[in-house]
Amino acid sequence: MRRTKFVSAVALVSGAALALSACGGGGGSGTGGDADVAAMAVAKGENEKELTYTSPDGLSSAGTISVSTDKPFTSYNNETADANNSYNTFILTPVLAATYKVDGNQKVILNKDVVESVEVATNPQKVTYKLKKGLTWSDGAPWGCKDFYLTWLSRSGKSKKADGSSYFLPASTSGYEKIAELACPDPQTVVTTYAENYPDYKGLFGGGDTGPLPAHIVEKQAGIPDLLKVTPTDAASLEKIATFWNTGWKGFTKDLMPASGPYMITDWKQNQSITLERNPKWPGPKGGPDKIVVKSVPDSVAQAQALENGENQILASMQPDANAADRLRNLNSQGVKYGSEQGLTFEHLDLNFRNPLLSDKEVRKAFFMAVNRKDITDKLVGPVVKDAKPMGSLIFYPGEDGYQDHYSDKSKGSADEAKKILEAAGWKLGGDGVYAKDGQRLSLKVSHTDIPRRKKTVEILMGQAKAAGIEVKDDTDPNFLDGRVDKGDYDIALFAWSGAPFKADKKPIYHSAGTQNWQKVVSPAADAALDKAVTQTDPAAAIPLYKEADKALSEEYASLPLFQTPNMWAFKGVDRVWHQSYFGALWNANEWQKTS
Amino acid sequence: MIRYIIRRLLISIPILLVGTFLSFVLVASLGDPLSELRAKPGVTEADVQALAQSLGVDKPILVRYWDWLTSFVQGDWGTSVALGQARADVYTVVTDALWVTAQLVIFAQLLALVLGVAVGVLAAVRQYSIFDYTATSLAFLAFSMPVFCVAIILKSYGIQFNNLLTSMGADRWLTTAGPPTGGFSGGFGEVIFKYSGTFLLPTLSLMLISFAAYSRFQRASMLETLHSDYVRTARAKGLSQGRVIFRHAFRNALIPVVTLAALNVGQVFTGAIMTEQVFGWNGMGSVLVSAVRQYDPNMLMGWLVVVAISVVVFNLVADVLYAYLDPRIRLG
Amino acid sequence: MADVTTPTTPGPRPASATAAGRAGSGHEFDSAKTRTQGQIVLRRFLRHRLAMTSFAVLVLLVLFAFAGPLFWSFSYEDSSSGSYLAPSGAHPLGTTEVGKDMLALLMRGTQYSIEIALVVSLLATAMGVVLGALAGYLRGFVDATVMRLVDLLLILPYIAVAAIIIRTVSGSWYMVALVLALFHWMQIARITRAETLSLAQREFVEAARACGAGTWRIIFKHLVPNMIGSITVNATLTVATAVLAEAGLSFIGLGVQLPDTSLGVIVSENYPQVVQRPWLFWGPFLVIVLISLTINFIGDGLRDAFDPRQTKVRA
Repeated sequence: MRRTKFVSAVALVSGAALALSACGGGGGSGTGGDADVAAMAVAKGENEKELTYTSPDGLSSAGTISVSTDKPFTSYNNETADANNSYNTFILTPVLAATYKVDGNQKVILNKDVVESVEVATNPQKVTYKLKKGLTWSDGAPWGCKDFYLTWLSRSGKSKKADGSSYFLPASTSGYEKIAELACPDPQTVVTTYAENYPDYKGLFGGGDTGPLPAHIVEKQAGIPDLLKVTPTDAASLEKIATFWNTGWKGFTKDLMPASGPYMITDWKQNQSITLERNPKWPGPKGGPDKIVVKSVPDSVAQAQALENGENQILASMQPDANAADRLRNLNSQGVKYGSEQGLTFEHLDLNFRNPLLSDKEVRKAFFMAVNRKDITDKLVGPVVKDAKPMGSLIFYPGEDGYQDHYSDKSKGSADEAKKILEAAGWKLGGDGVYAKDGQRLSLKVSHTDIPRRKKTVEILMGQAKAAGIEVKDDTDPNFLDGRVDKGDYDIALFAWSGAPFKADKKPIYHSAGTQNWQKVVSPAADAALDKAVTQTDPAAAIPLYKEADKALSEEYASLPLFQTPNMWAFKGVDRVWHQSYFGALWNANEWQKTS
Repeated sequence: MIRYIIRRLLISIPILLVGTFLSFVLVASLGDPLSELRAKPGVTEADVQALAQSLGVDKPILVRYWDWLTSFVQGDWGTSVALGQARADVYTVVTDALWVTAQLVIFAQLLALVLGVAVGVLAAVRQYSIFDYTATSLAFLAFSMPVFCVAIILKSYGIQFNNLLTSMGADRWLTTAGPPTGGFSGGFGEVIFKYSGTFLLPTLSLMLISFAAYSRFQRASMLETLHSDYVRTARAKGLSQGRVIFRHAFRNALIPVVTLAALNVGQVFTGAIMTEQVFGWNGMGSVLVSAVRQYDPNMLMGWLVVVAISVVVFNLVADVLYAYLDPRIRLG
Repeated sequence: MADVTTPTTPGPRPASATAAGRAGSGHEFDSAKTRTQGQIVLRRFLRHRLAMTSFAVLVLLVLFAFAGPLFWSFSYEDSSSGSYLAPSGAHPLGTTEVGKDMLALLMRGTQYSIEIALVVSLLATAMGVVLGALAGYLRGFVDATVMRLVDLLLILPYIAVAAIIIRTVSGSWYMVALVLALFHWMQIARITRAETLSLAQREFVEAARACGAGTWRIIFKHLVPNMIGSITVNATLTVATAVLAEAGLSFIGLGVQLPDTSLGVIVSENYPQVVQRPWLFWGPFLVIVLISLTINFIGDGLRDAFDPRQTKVRA
């Protein structure tokens, strides 16, 4: 697992939002860390009852804090498809002010530092943000509705060229494409009118992505006098704006990259480190670190050693490694605190229904039964998250309303029961220890990209299947996700769905007519439930329908969820750190205080 | 001589073309940098295509190579096409990384050369002495160890050494992750303290293997000259031992070592890539690995060109040095 | 690359007078003489205690790797044991993260590493000697072509080519061996060429040529036997280099890929345990060092044995 440092997992994050239901829930429950770390999921300035956030007063300066993470920051504009990755979100969270914050328990809290109030009207859905007065970017330009307008213009997918292609190349249009109109009656008022009901509106403008980018910079660079006058059909201006938006924020030019949040970028050494300093124009109370240096150290063991050696005070890894976790736990006596959580990405085995062997439900049943998910989870996630459990649902994360374990009874890791299922279905154990029927050996390939964790998964899987008379072969193919998985060119696919933000995104994957249903699972019951669920406007009403679909899918023995991939963090000399599973460790960096 | 150098450089151009072409085709034809995008819920093929078109990775490979080549000739090294890299400028990324790695290589090579030659000469002059045996054993041990293992061991014990320092009330000195941050700020003493602490472990790990090679090589070549007729003649003439060793034997014995050092740069560079990985110095190693992993031919091309040019230059230096030091070889 | 006698130095012709003197003199190219010389070399080598000890250790290592699994109760495929068990009677070197027995893994890894190294050395030496001797002897166009090929391969850093090929074509052990061999013959070729350049000027080569000997005959009958010392030494040392090169590649994740394994893969997966579970790191590390060290010593012994001016046999 050491080689995770080269994992190509770009850690794509969806541009817009998590499943942001006001009732909270969410995936990452902090487990496995030190007991007192669990309480750190809540920010100091958070009002848990009203779900609001205000920067706390009375903090003293915390000097310079050095943080390490796995990969370097790459772009100030994280919303383009080529730049989008979680390590940018990590850095930009304290740099670009957002309407909402999400705490360590996935609770969505209104950012009262910059927003006065948010009002929601229905029929049509209309969300009105009242922003605080007098807010500016770190370069002195006003922060307000125009910046929101830029976000909508670039990410709603409405700015189309004559040939139907888009001017802007956003990582995602989810949510923004439902906003029919964004109006700025005054610089501190943002009125968004939705074309259809959209219950996850809190995920937009920073609640589920990074906050609005500076419109005044775009105006200046693209030579547009007033961005608000540019409509999604204004070809000439859009061309100029999009050119800058798509590629203009490349590299590091301090003047083009002001901050609206508590910290601004003051130095950036590509591939090495990025330096944030307190934004002098930030209206909130001063305090916390004067300077935060975030270094990229690809090997999480090296990160652990650097923390041990006092080079860094905080370690935050989204590609954790059992060895590093182990090491960090052992540093407890030296005052190092350790935290971990299971994140919003889950690994799973997709059984291909086109495969003649796997088209037989009894074979799928036997395979499920042979897999010992607890063993896999214990060995691969357990060292990082102590009481890690296998994932039991394809649609919900543990802790969310609607989560129910549908797989523990189907996948017990019992070779005997798997053999019984096979024998009952007429399979005979061959001399080579592998079942066969009608001259067909029960031999299956597990295909995956060459991520070390996946190799280890298959390594363990091979032994488990062998005990049940099923031959599993390893098919590591770096191109597996390119042109193979979508054509269904595999027996069993091992990959992860990275943080499905909206339940609606589950439909294309598991609906029999879904565009991402590569394994060709067909479940009429799930189809019906999914069709109904996505047309609900009230998220609460959709939950039972998704539950129904989840259960129906499990009965097809189609896709076996394994585990959620973990995150881990550790710190020494800082009072309160929580690695938010989506936004990273800096979401409440302004509150950090030094401890001795 | 100048003509020879120019000719050598010109000859390397077609070689470079062949090399970059092969690498480009191999990398570009065997993987799609945008494939990970497909494993994101809700992404449609149209989204992937739009990005591919914008990055130019939808074109046939030969066209892409030609595009790369024509812009490269005009001084444009292109931008990364890998996901999450935000079209990073290849030239900036590669030259920055080269500088990071070069620092390690230069320090390690100088140290290795000086120490290696000194130890080698001494060992040869005092052949079969305790010193010779010790130097020989250590050298054998050093180049029987993989560079990265040395780095791993040094690093683990470096941290313990720091703990020892703090227990004695001193500051932590050695660092283990990344090049020095913050530049040359602070007093002279502080800067020395910081830089030495950062460079010591990686340089030492990287130096060890070259040092072993140079000392062995110098010893062998020194022995060879010491046994040669002209040295015997010089001795017979009654010259002093020191004069024989330094004027006659040493100068000639130095030729192969110096040549080796120039040729060896490539190998040390490879070692530096490993060392860098252990010490988190995101230099050429991490650029290479991520370019290959993410099927980023543009970045890879920049990497290869930079490395290839360095190798060409050092090979040339080796040849010129060889000709300069050994009058029997003429370059033409 | 390590310990090579310098090629172009004038001095007593290799494989001639001093040591072999008692066997008579004058008939430089007599076959009986050659055999005698071979015996002398062998005797010198056998009396080289360090080299012989190394040889014995190496044989033991090979036995451990290839015969060991027959007697060991755990298979390298078996991941049913607990994660990170401490060393015990059942698992003398403990278990790995996925619950495999370290000793079984170590045997498997050693097998692969030795196989890779041998393939690399044989291929690289064959290529290097043939091409180097041809270039040095024929000069002109052949020389230029071979040297350009050397340049090409020196310009393309093997680590990059290996990374690309292994990543895109296959990461099996023989692919790694092939790629490494492709990038390890140049040094041997350069040395062979340099020695050939100097030997080709000698009277005995001119004499042979005057007698009408063809290129291949001169190369294999006259040149190569005169360079056999440095060739053997280099071939031996290439084995050691290859073990390390493979380990390095695998360490940065660009070498041997599962299900094949190697010592490099094992070290790279277990090195973070160097402090907490030292046995997981030091086990494979020591095997690498032992293989490499013994081979280096054997190479050194061979060099001494081949060096006719050597009168004293070292301890």
